[in-house]
Formats: sequence, C-alpha cells, structure tokens
Amino acid sequence: MDPNDEIAELEYEIALLRKKLHEKESKLIQLKGQCQVALDFFVDVEEPSTSGSSVSSSSQPQEVVRKVVKLPSWAITRYSRQIILPEIGVSGQAKLCVSKVLVVGVGGLGCPAAMYLAGAGVGQIGLVDYDTVDLTNLHRQVLHLERDQDISKVESAADKLRSINSNIKVVTYNVQLNSKNAEEIANGYHLVLDCTDNIPSRYLLNDLCVFLKIPLISGSALKMDGQLSIYGYKAPLTRDSTYQYRGPCYRCVFPKPPPPETIGSCSAQGVAGPVPGIIGTLQALEAIKYLTDISNEKLLVGRLLIFDGEDMTVRITSLRPRNSKCAVCSKKPTIRALGDYEAFCKTSAREQELELDILPEKRRITATYLNRMLTDNLSKNGPPIVIDVRSEGEFRMCRIEGSLSSPKEKFGQVQMEKVSKLLKSRNNEIVFICRRGNDSQIVVRQLLDGVDRMYHDRLYDVIGGLHQWAKQVDPDFPIY
Amino acid sequence: MCALKIDLLFGGGAELLFDKIKKRQVELPPLNKYFSDAKKTEWTIREFIVWIKDNLLREREELFIQGDSVRPGILVLVNDSDWELCGELDYQLQNNDCIMFISTLHGG
Repeated sequence: MDPNDEIAELEYEIALLRKKLHEKESKLIQLKGQCQVALDFFVDVEEPSTSGSSVSSSSQPQEVVRKVVKLPSWAITRYSRQIILPEIGVSGQAKLCVSKVLVVGVGGLGCPAAMYLAGAGVGQIGLVDYDTVDLTNLHRQVLHLERDQDISKVESAADKLRSINSNIKVVTYNVQLNSKNAEEIANGYHLVLDCTDNIPSRYLLNDLCVFLKIPLISGSALKMDGQLSIYGYKAPLTRDSTYQYRGPCYRCVFPKPPPPETIGSCSAQGVAGPVPGIIGTLQALEAIKYLTDISNEKLLVGRLLIFDGEDMTVRITSLRPRNSKCAVCSKKPTIRALGDYEAFCKTSAREQELELDILPEKRRITATYLNRMLTDNLSKNGPPIVIDVRSEGEFRMCRIEGSLSSPKEKFGQVQMEKVSKLLKSRNNEIVFICRRGNDSQIVVRQLLDGVDRMYHDRLYDVIGGLHQWAKQVDPDFPIY
Repeated sequence: MCALKIDLLFGGGAELLFDKIKKRQVELPPLNKYFSDAKKTEWTIREFIVWIKDNLLREREELFIQGDSVRPGILVLVNDSDWELCGELDYQLQNNDCIMFISTLHGG
C-alpha cells in the first residue's frame, strides 16, 4: 500500500474515533453536571451569617460567598500539594472550589492561565474568545493541538481543561466580548483575567470590572516583553475597619489610549512563545492568591511587573494610586455604562483585516502580473525592481527572489531620496510589496506625493501582497 | 555644578525609537549651559524630554512625544516608581537617577 494512502486512511479512522470519543465525553460531562459533583458538592452546612465574613458578602454583591469549610477526601488528596501550603490550606482550597473566574482571550496568555486555574480546582472557569485555532497559534497557545485547527478556541481549550480536571465546570462563550454582551457574560464571576490582545478590549474589561466591583488581572505580551498588574482591586471590608483599600484601575493609570499607529500585535511583530506563557502563568498565580484571600500588599495591586525576556530582567514598579478624578472608578464617574471602545481607541478589537485602497487603479498590479513582469520581459527596460517593505525579520524569513528590503517602519526622507535616485538613474519599473498589500500602498502613496510627476507611471503596488503571491504564483510561498 | 549622570532606560518597544538601545548613561550639563535662556541649573523631566528629543530621537517624534510630554501609552518611571508619584514633568532630576520610558503592551 502506498504510504500516503495509508496515512490518509489512518487520519480518517482517527478522526472518526475522536468524534465518537468527543460525543461520549460530552455525555459524561452532562451527566456529571446533573449529579452536581462540581460546585454544589462543596457547599456545606456552616452558615456564614454568624461569622464576620458575611459583612463583606453583603456589601459587595460579587464577593465570593464562602460557605464552605469541609472538603471531601478525594479533594484533599487531589489538591494536597497546594493544601499543604499554609498560604492556601483547607479553607483556601474550599474557596478555590467555589470560585468562578472568567478568562477573556484563550490565546498565549489565556491558555496557561486557564490550565493552572483548572489544575488548582477553581470551581468554574468561563472562557471567552471568538476566534478559531490557527497553525500559527500553536507555538504559544499551549491548550490547542494540531488536530484543533479551525475549531473554536473556547471549545478546544474547554476540552483540555475538562481532561485536566473533571470536577470543575467549564463554560464557553464563543463570541467577541463587546459592550452589549459583556455584563451578561461576566455576571456571577468573582474575578476576570484579561488575556486579550487588543486595546479596546482592555478598556472594556476595565470598565466592566469596575461596574461589577471585581478585580481585573491584566496581562500582556509582545515580542520578548511582558507586563502584568491587577486593576480595580478592593480590599474586603471587615467589621471593624473604617478604611477600605482600593487599588487603581486601568484608566487611573492610562486615562488616554495610545495613538493607533503605536500599537503592535503578535501577528505583525512576533512573540516568543514562553513570554505569554510566563505572564499567563503569573496571572493564574495572582488569581489563586486573590481567591484565597491573600492581602493586597502581597498581590500585584498598585504595582506593575515588567518582564524583559531578552535581557532576562524583571522589574516591579510602583504605580500611582487610584485617581480621585478617574472617569470610571471615582466617586463621581463620567462613564456610567459600557461604551464604544473601538471608537475611543480609534482601532479595531479584532485582528486588523484592513483593506486599504488609497492608490489610483493604474498603480496597482496583481501578483500574477508581477510574475509576468519578472519572467516574460514585458518591458524594454528590463525586469522591475521589487522592493519589499515588511520588517527586516519578515524579509529574512521569506521573500521573492531578487527583491530588496526597505521596511515601511523606517521609510522616511532618506529612503525617499534613494528611490528618487533609482528612478533617475535607471529606467526599470519599481514594484512595492508587503504581506497583505496595505503597507506597500502607504509607501507608494508617500512616493507619489514626494517624487516628480514624470516618474509616477513607473511606481507600482502589488494588490494583496505576498498572500496573493502565494495564492496566484508560488504555492510553496509560506503564508503567515 | 558638575554634570548630572542619569541612567536612561527604554523598554516595551520604546527602545526601537532610540537605535534599539535599552540602557545608556547620559551626562547632562547645567541646564543654563544647554538652554542658554534657562535661568536655573537644575533639570526637570520636562527639559530632559526635550534633551532626549534633540540628542537621541532620530525621526517620527510623534511616536514618543505629544505636546511637551510623552505620548499616551508610555509610562515614565523614576527609580522604578510611576512618575506621577514624584511630580511628573516637574520632577527635578538627581545625580544617578534611573529614568525609564516604557511602552505599554497590548498583545496576548
């Protein structure tokens, strides 16, 4: 038998078996849910009304209602390695078992964070993500496997979390969190982990958590850098305390969003897998500490952790205190409801699939046409000069043979003059290309505005960039 | 007054605007030697930002500066504390201070 046929046959059989397995597992989860082995199992008879802790639960509606003291023996065995820690103990474990944590974004940060929360026995983990698993995710999004490609990230992650711990409840929300659905989704959770990858979602989650009076553990990672802090923290009220400590919210520290052109993304700038791994793992640790009532001095409240994986340095910096005039968390807030965060940040919450169209039609060519220019001697002036405007790292990774590199990020006066000289000294056409065909248009636009009109008809941009080159010309060219 | 030695750090991507150098030590002359119209010798961060713009920032200053301060999304740390805790632009630089400009990250 041809080994390729054999591979195809085995893959088919495995897929069928997996489907069957998945059905049985779903059925099992459903039945276990009916038996209520998860959350309610722990809710014990010890009434909280006689203890001082009830003060906090009545004054803070979202505060964990902690009725639990006893743990069944399987739970003691299962969680023994963390129960032994005096910081957690039996009471800490019981609190974890009745806690509900919402993880928003099931990517590089959300995967490791959710794994540790599931392992620790957090009673309910909510997962929010609208996206599906892509091959380019797998180097960092450790809950997703090769076989999960194109299925929803929340389902893929929930599947693994249930395998890690069948005694917890995992709830999936396969949607983009927005100001319309956020309150309903987050309602009932005790804590939110911000594992998102964009700035509008960060402001949305901040305001949401301020309104719900629950803290937000906010992580971020890009390239070799990571950052982490807890926003909107409120210390529990005790019977005899007159002062309640409150930490700053995200808006206290960052009242204005950064200009959109300064915002980077993992897909555009890259990220080393272990960096979100570290930050996501620390988010889980802070979550466990918070849920087990560790005091704010020991939590990353009012402090920002800055991790630099390139130099291997970690800095912990003190942040400003809560802003008494904060737009959302002060006594007289100007923001009282969730709003339009994409407008506020002037940027999209989804990975930009921007399609610019800022050039005259004559200046734009298809990838197929570029290939003909390169191979068929269409012009008496010889083949065109191809200039790739992606970053140096992307250019090194893959490029059209013979193309030159001139990153858009650095395309300023000096580069304009170089192109001008090239136009004057030679007669070749100059074709600009990038990954998707947006940046190349911006560069050509800059040139059309900057160089003499007589040269304009020798400048071109490739529609759809290298993605189209891979589709139309070279199927072996990597799409990323 | 002798020169003021400052450890100047960039991070979180802000270093890309400064030849990718994350850490450097800079020496500042008395303020009135640098700005001839200045009436004092001491530097505050306000003037220091101008000095950085004049001496270190190559192009695209809008990615670092907005008005007379840094743009939103850059956090300034004075000896590992948020600059708001020590007077922001009016903080007076001390010899051997560590001033860090860090870009906030949003990826995940």
